[in-house]
Amino acid sequence: MADFTYRLRPAEPQGPSILASERAGSNVHVEQLAGHLLWRNDFLQRQKRIVAILERIPIFSKKNQLNMARPDRYQLGLARAKSLRRLSIEHGWDRDDYLMADYLVDEMGPYALQTSMFATSIREQSTDRQRAHWLPKLERWDIIGCYAQTELGHGSNVKGIECQARWDGHTKEFVLHSPTVTASKWWNGALGRTANHAIVVAQLLLPEPGSDTDSDSPAAQDRGATGSRSRYKSYGPHQFIVQIRDMATHQPLDGIVIGDIGPKYGYPAMDNGYMLFHQFRVPHSALLARYSGVDADSGAYMRPQNPAVVYGSLTFVRAQIVMHARLVLARAVTIAVRYLAIRRQFADRDHNHDQKTTPGPAPEQAVLNYPTVQIRILPLLATTFALHYTGEAMYQLYHGTREAIERSGDFSRLAEMHAASSGLKSLCTTLAADGIEICRRAMGGHGFGGASGMIALNNEYLSKPTVEGDNWMITQQTAAYLIKRMTAVAQTLGLAPKDELDLQFQEYLAVNANSNTNGNGAGNTTATAPTPSTRNFDILANDAELVRAFRHRASHLAYQAYRARVVEKKPWTSLMINLHRLSRAHSESLLVSHFHRAVFESSAAGADLDLDEPTLDVMRKLFRLFALFTLDASASEFLLSGAISLQRLQAVLPTVQDLMAQVRPHAVRLVDAWSVPDYLLESALGSHDGDVYNRLFRRAHRDNPLNRWTFNPDWRSEEIVMGEGAENARTRLDALALGLDNTGYERSGLATTTKSKL
Amino acid sequence: MPSNPDWVKALKPSGPQGSELLAQERAKSSLNVDQLADFLFTRQVLERNERILKILQAEPVFDKSQNYFRGREARIEAALARGKRLQQLSVQHKWSKEEFQTANDLVSEPTPYGLHASMFLVTLREQGTPEQHKLFLERAEAYKIIGCYAQTELGHGSNVRGLETTATWNPEDKTFTLHSPHLTASKWWIGSLGKAANHAVVMAQLFVNGKNYGPHPFVVQIRDLKTHEPLPNVHVGDIGPKFGYNTMDNGFLLLKNVKVPHVNMLARFSRVDPNTNKYVRPSNPSLIYGTLTYIRSHIVLQSGSVLARGVTIATRYCAVRRQFQDRDAPAGEIGENQVLNYTMVQIRLLPLLAATYALHFTGKGMINLYQENQKRMNGDVGKLADSNRAPGPEELNPGTDLLADLHATSCALKALGSTTAAEGLEVCRRACGGHGYSSFSGIGSWYADYLPTVTWEGDNYMLTQQVSRYLLKSARSVLKGNPPDNDTTRILKEFISRRDIGAAFDVIGSDTDLVAAFAWRVSFLTFEALRHRDEDKQSWNSLLVDFWRLSTAHAQYMVVKNFHDALNDPNTTQQLDPDTVTVLHKLFRLYALNTLEQEASEFYSSAAVTVRQITLARTKAVMKLLEEIRPHALRLVDAWKFPDWQLDSSLGRYDGKVYEDMFYRASELNPLNSVVFDPYPDSKVLFRKDERANLRSKL
Repeated sequence: MADFTYRLRPAEPQGPSILASERAGSNVHVEQLAGHLLWRNDFLQRQKRIVAILERIPIFSKKNQLNMARPDRYQLGLARAKSLRRLSIEHGWDRDDYLMADYLVDEMGPYALQTSMFATSIREQSTDRQRAHWLPKLERWDIIGCYAQTELGHGSNVKGIECQARWDGHTKEFVLHSPTVTASKWWNGALGRTANHAIVVAQLLLPEPGSDTDSDSPAAQDRGATGSRSRYKSYGPHQFIVQIRDMATHQPLDGIVIGDIGPKYGYPAMDNGYMLFHQFRVPHSALLARYSGVDADSGAYMRPQNPAVVYGSLTFVRAQIVMHARLVLARAVTIAVRYLAIRRQFADRDHNHDQKTTPGPAPEQAVLNYPTVQIRILPLLATTFALHYTGEAMYQLYHGTREAIERSGDFSRLAEMHAASSGLKSLCTTLAADGIEICRRAMGGHGFGGASGMIALNNEYLSKPTVEGDNWMITQQTAAYLIKRMTAVAQTLGLAPKDELDLQFQEYLAVNANSNTNGNGAGNTTATAPTPSTRNFDILANDAELVRAFRHRASHLAYQAYRARVVEKKPWTSLMINLHRLSRAHSESLLVSHFHRAVFESSAAGADLDLDEPTLDVMRKLFRLFALFTLDASASEFLLSGAISLQRLQAVLPTVQDLMAQVRPHAVRLVDAWSVPDYLLESALGSHDGDVYNRLFRRAHRDNPLNRWTFNPDWRSEEIVMGEGAENARTRLDALALGLDNTGYERSGLATTTKSKL
Repeated sequence: MPSNPDWVKALKPSGPQGSELLAQERAKSSLNVDQLADFLFTRQVLERNERILKILQAEPVFDKSQNYFRGREARIEAALARGKRLQQLSVQHKWSKEEFQTANDLVSEPTPYGLHASMFLVTLREQGTPEQHKLFLERAEAYKIIGCYAQTELGHGSNVRGLETTATWNPEDKTFTLHSPHLTASKWWIGSLGKAANHAVVMAQLFVNGKNYGPHPFVVQIRDLKTHEPLPNVHVGDIGPKFGYNTMDNGFLLLKNVKVPHVNMLARFSRVDPNTNKYVRPSNPSLIYGTLTYIRSHIVLQSGSVLARGVTIATRYCAVRRQFQDRDAPAGEIGENQVLNYTMVQIRLLPLLAATYALHFTGKGMINLYQENQKRMNGDVGKLADSNRAPGPEELNPGTDLLADLHATSCALKALGSTTAAEGLEVCRRACGGHGYSSFSGIGSWYADYLPTVTWEGDNYMLTQQVSRYLLKSARSVLKGNPPDNDTTRILKEFISRRDIGAAFDVIGSDTDLVAAFAWRVSFLTFEALRHRDEDKQSWNSLLVDFWRLSTAHAQYMVVKNFHDALNDPNTTQQLDPDTVTVLHKLFRLYALNTLEQEASEFYSSAAVTVRQITLARTKAVMKLLEEIRPHALRLVDAWKFPDWQLDSSLGRYDGKVYEDMFYRASELNPLNSVVFDPYPDSKVLFRKDERANLRSKL
């Protein structure tokens, strides 16, 4: 297909030379910073090694993904998942290698549940005997699994799920049953087409003592639970391991209906599924019984030892979500910074262009020089680091807590971790999801194009604000925890502080005590809440004061929520908006505190390597940029809580602009430090070499299957592809309309010619 | 598709059925939905929509059931087939332009004829001479030639003056040579160009005798009319998949010294004299300027209904969906709470519901003003010529003071309206929780298709500069004491006269004060920006963030003012029951107070309100309004009258049968379920069974 376009070059200046001079204009130490950020688990070396393997294999090429129909994407996803598994064996990959490959392939694929929720449930919820039975099968991949909790009618509220597991004392079996269509399992990854086993979460129903269990004959059960004369008591949701498909034919077993739930905003390669049971029997051993069980002889319930453990693994998932959010956002920011440094648009209005020395129009400016672009991108660049340090802190908190539980049965920090992780999951995934879209839009028209690398990123990541706990719902958990802590501090005079949060609340109350009748909030029953005294922290001159301003605002909202709920007894529902704000304020305060600690206190969290002075200096500016930008976005809360005065607030935006101007020259090197490989970026706009326009053109021109076809545009003719004939077009489009077409290749002999080139 | 076994067919959703819940919701409010809908759209338009809907639903080619499952190529093919059928129906039923547009809105996806029917025809009509109309326009209107409008390039979007494609005048044979000197000169993003068009209006830098006269429009044939293959030295194709708009063949185009005759330069406003070889200046460019104002006003109106689709879906679903028991519910009360009862859901959806109405009234107000002004303007065309400009629309100076005011307002409102709609849709999607992520929610694809509006017809951030430039100019004229008379100068004068007295607006108690507080904030920010620019001599670029905030403030003021004016129009009180007016009034207050609370620090900084007022707005007024509007929410979205066929959403069904529809689409429309896979990694086979081939052979 050689044609005259092959000789054309982009107009000057060329992208690669622009990025070269950007990189020359900054003294940020890229390798050092990269090592500082990505030291855990030998991330950088591992990434390099695995990218080299994947890039060479055609099935892992991403260039045609966006053209593909959903059913085809699933097939490709399954083929890739299989291939990754085979590569693991071939190269002797360990678990971290496998996860790295999965991260680089960058799609939620059909084996994703096998190594995560399915494996975790078996490991953490099984008895030793169950483990001995299932783990070898799991590890040999003799069984392919999924985790079926969410239902068509129920997501976050696990207690409300409808699927039943009724104990039949005669046969010593559980009877799984879906009484309604809303009881259908729904959204469960890998269930739709892939898995042959599932962890099924169902309401455990046990016969009440003394009820007529004779009616539990199979005949009576065919009438359904309600037709039986025995009465059952629900013990809440429990996990069961269930074979769901035939091992030879892969068809669903009798009494089970399964399928894929159809296309989604993203996740095209994942077969999220639905599943219904009709009086389906599983043995006593199906109930995963590490923490609770049913006595097979008496049918009696055995209580869980510590129910908190149950949410331990979900908390871990949330901690990982924060770490993942930073890399996702870093990817979006990398693409945006590189492209916006290259893209030129409009000349500077204040530029004195001398027509005599340089004829022609004034040179256009790099878009990244515009403050309206900077204010969208540079605070997000700073946010990637804020997320990083908090992710590190969460990681440590998680492992510390886990260790304390396993070593000495100390559960004391679990509540704190759970509360912190809920609020942070909500805030961090919102920041990343919104940030991706802000970056995409800042790139103008090309951000909308498939070659931006932002489409799949947006599509995949936008699941995050609503999964693993909806971002609005779960902030209630954080807020409830903070209210509890504030209540303890406010109502116990001279409470010995056990951690920073107690200190923070005490400091707040000490200053606001003069507004309280007796120095403790409990006795204060006047209708109006105390007006906060204005602290007016010196946020512009003193970094520690900036942190204190965030803590003060969070404490203020916690105190107000405590008064409204505990003192004034207001309905919970009416407070939800305030609770959401409280959670956000507290989580922002955590982000700011961790960031501050990492760049101002030596030997802080997460660093196994010190940064040189110029790099550290830039990191400190990024801290200020993040904190002040975040403060400005919620300015009224800082004003209303008395954390700052109006006068100080008015100086914030100019300071933010000033900081952006100082950070701007380092932007390209800062994103370089995140070391996102081109293979993962999959972006013509954001590749490391900056050859934007050649790449854009190649993708449109050479990599675009649509350009292999000539269409017939005349509306009077029903022919669609030129020369195919109206009749042919009709049959083809009928199959298309009914979802019966296989792939685009069937349309003509072109399939063979294209395929033969492979 | 596999059919469900009988025991599955017999299942129903648990608890109160969606249809019952929606029926109860509708019973809670006595708002007259039909009356309100007639008031918003007119009876005539609603009846027309129903008639066209019936025609489309009867046509198999418009069946939407596989839309969400298809890949890019299949979608383009289906869209082309649909585009053809729409045109056939249009001829058959003698549809007017509005009726054709309605049909397109109901189908709800762009077709490869989209740009032919809009920009290609408009440009030929508005920029062609009568001779050119005969030569190009008549054939285009008969679809004998299919065209597109090729302006944007790979390296240049908003900055039209930076285009790289050249058109050089050849005096010897009276032709123009069109040429792409660089790769970045490639036309890019051009709708209908990739696969459908055989002609293009190409914007190119005109060179006459070595001198550049800026971008001008040229008609260029690009494909053979018989084979539809590109002509020699024309390189054209589709640019590939996008975030949305995948049923449109956005294309690229490179030209290698392609010659076109003199008549192919569209010459209504400027031309090259073939005898003298001289360039003849544009005679009245402000007409184009008016067109842009008109297009933007329509974007504002449209943004209301775009958002209303998302709000309709989310509101209905949140009324059907129940989650968790109320923490404070009495012990005996069982059953979960409707999600719409949660204030954390209300605070996201109800202000957006208010915004749909606010934007609708604002768009209508803008279009009325524009039309009145056009009538007045037609009297004095010709006095407005300004010969020192190139015809890039962004660079034109105002023709008249009123039009200038209208133009600035349309820029500000286009930016605010389209941003509100785009971001609002994503808020709606997330408010639907997990199911919002399913394609069957109908929000995701709608959002993706709408997104280009945020950057086209003037990038939303770029536009804010024009707005600010205009506001600064107005402020200077007020300070000099010679301002033109329009709303902007009136509010600026009012601010100056009371600046040293102070404001003290009763934003909670008085509607006019609420509007005045918005005006005060705009004026305050305008004079602040003016001080930075004129006294502190700050560079233009350093003020861009202030300008963006200023423009947003101005647009919010215009929305609040237009909403307020619409409610106080005698027409409104005549056509609507007092109860309905009361509810609309609450929506007005919710929109205004919620916006005020969101932007609290600016209102406070400008001394328009006190901290105490903000606290009251936040804790009392907004909360009370949410509670009062809540019972009417469902009827308020019903009044938008979206047919289910247009929404194409399981979650947003009028009858509330959310779960039945989700299940039906997943189990019976989903082609993936006709294929049995092999799940094991060590097997290289992907399928164990594929039923699609059998089903296909039965066709």
